[in-house]
Amino acid sequence: MIKLLGAVLILVAGTLIGFQQAARFAERPRQLRQLAHALQRLETEIGYGHTPLPEALNRTAAATAEPIASLFRRTAEELKSEQGWSFQECWERSVQVIWIETSMKASERGVMLRLGSTLGISDKEDQMKHLRLALLQLKSEEDAARDDQGRYEKMWKSLGALLAVLIIILMV
Amino acid sequence: MLSHVSHLLPLDLKKLLEGLPAEVKGSLEEIRIRENRPLEISYRGGFRFLAPDGSLKQQAEGSVKPTAEQCRKLLERITNYSLYAMEEELRRGYITVSGGHRIGLAGRTILDGGSVRGIRDIGGFNIRIAREVIGAAAHLLPKLMDRVRGTIGSTLILAPPQQGKTTLVRDMARSLSYGAPSGMERGTIAGKKVGIVDERSEIAACVRGIPTFDVGPRTDVMDACPKAEGMMMLLRSMSPEVLIVDEIGRPEDVEAIREASHAGVSVVATAHAFDVQDAKGRPELYRLIQEGAFLHIVELKRSHDGIMHRIISANALQQASNAKSKEQLAAVSLAGAGVGRFRTEE
Repeated sequence: MIKLLGAVLILVAGTLIGFQQAARFAERPRQLRQLAHALQRLETEIGYGHTPLPEALNRTAAATAEPIASLFRRTAEELKSEQGWSFQECWERSVQVIWIETSMKASERGVMLRLGSTLGISDKEDQMKHLRLALLQLKSEEDAARDDQGRYEKMWKSLGALLAVLIIILMV
Repeated sequence: MLSHVSHLLPLDLKKLLEGLPAEVKGSLEEIRIRENRPLEISYRGGFRFLAPDGSLKQQAEGSVKPTAEQCRKLLERITNYSLYAMEEELRRGYITVSGGHRIGLAGRTILDGGSVRGIRDIGGFNIRIAREVIGAAAHLLPKLMDRVRGTIGSTLILAPPQQGKTTLVRDMARSLSYGAPSGMERGTIAGKKVGIVDERSEIAACVRGIPTFDVGPRTDVMDACPKAEGMMMLLRSMSPEVLIVDEIGRPEDVEAIREASHAGVSVVATAHAFDVQDAKGRPELYRLIQEGAFLHIVELKRSHDGIMHRIISANALQQASNAKSKEQLAAVSLAGAGVGRFRTEE
């Protein structure tokens, strides 16, 4: 009886782990898409609205879903602090903190960090170029993420349960 | 005064400057930051270099040299992390921040068809601390009133840079807008509709169109607007009784002032000139004086115990220009002058 209960527990746990991994693959392209939309919004604020960066970040955050929104909101808050940090420092800190909460990977983090070293410190044309470059790179990451999703999402969904069954068989 | 701008400075420079003696901090006028060159401050008309231990020196050797990193942080702060939104400011060579403080910039310019489009590689900053001195015009204003019309007579204020011209006209705008300037019987003069054309955002120090200095309840400000155009716009749209402009001198400014004085509006203008004699070297300006567009001309001189002013009535000047002799001009202008002083130290 206890053996049966244990087997059921392992099966449930394995399935859940599998589904969680699958969800990560499903989540990544979605978040990349959101991030791209947010950057597009930022590009509009900078290029056409001439909005000062802290306000542009806040407006972008307001139009974006969590957890991506907090990247922009957090940076805008840090800019207001009296510590005399540069924009790049504030941005990098926010990226590091937010990334743990997202399903995104190191490659897109690199794109965002590179963007942070250029935002706010050059003229309008230059800013728009950098934002468009980041958008392009995010797009290619998104395509890759979609491929991964098609390939691994289903696999993980069944793999979790199958591994659990394997463990149960070995134990019995 | 340092506390007004210290939030703009990088942390290490801020700490260093906050260690200065209180009287230096209180009378600070300019902080000059040049990349990899000695940090200079100017206060009460003099200048000193700042050593790493916080002491002030007359010689530049061994003083603090702001790094490229610090300059970059400073630039980020004064542009509100948005250099891209500052194209107009970079073209003009300075940025006005909240509180009316103006930061002059020097560096490599970008040209577009022969005219300056902006500054790149900014390596020199001059933080000029603006001070609002309420009551700066209190002694002067009653002498400039045109008692027949019950308003201020058109006035031209002449002084070299850093003599308190802008501080003076700002307080004039405030007093006229509130009405009953001090030194006069309260209630005798009602508040006037005042229009300020603030091309360099110094008089009212507008941030997003709202003045950060108290320029009075009946004052309208045309911010960052070319003076001539701004004066005409205000005349057409805001029906001002007093127009206030800073640093006139171009032919189109002169034309607009002529227009305003014909429309019965009193104009208070300032110009860079040492005195009336000096103003002669600027033909447009001098013609305006000769035409009698101004009722009074005020010269400002800064001395140890405040700022001296001398009022010359335009009538006296006109007589002198008829006489066409320098000596006579000097004699007449002295005879018609009212000399006084006011203090701008707090």
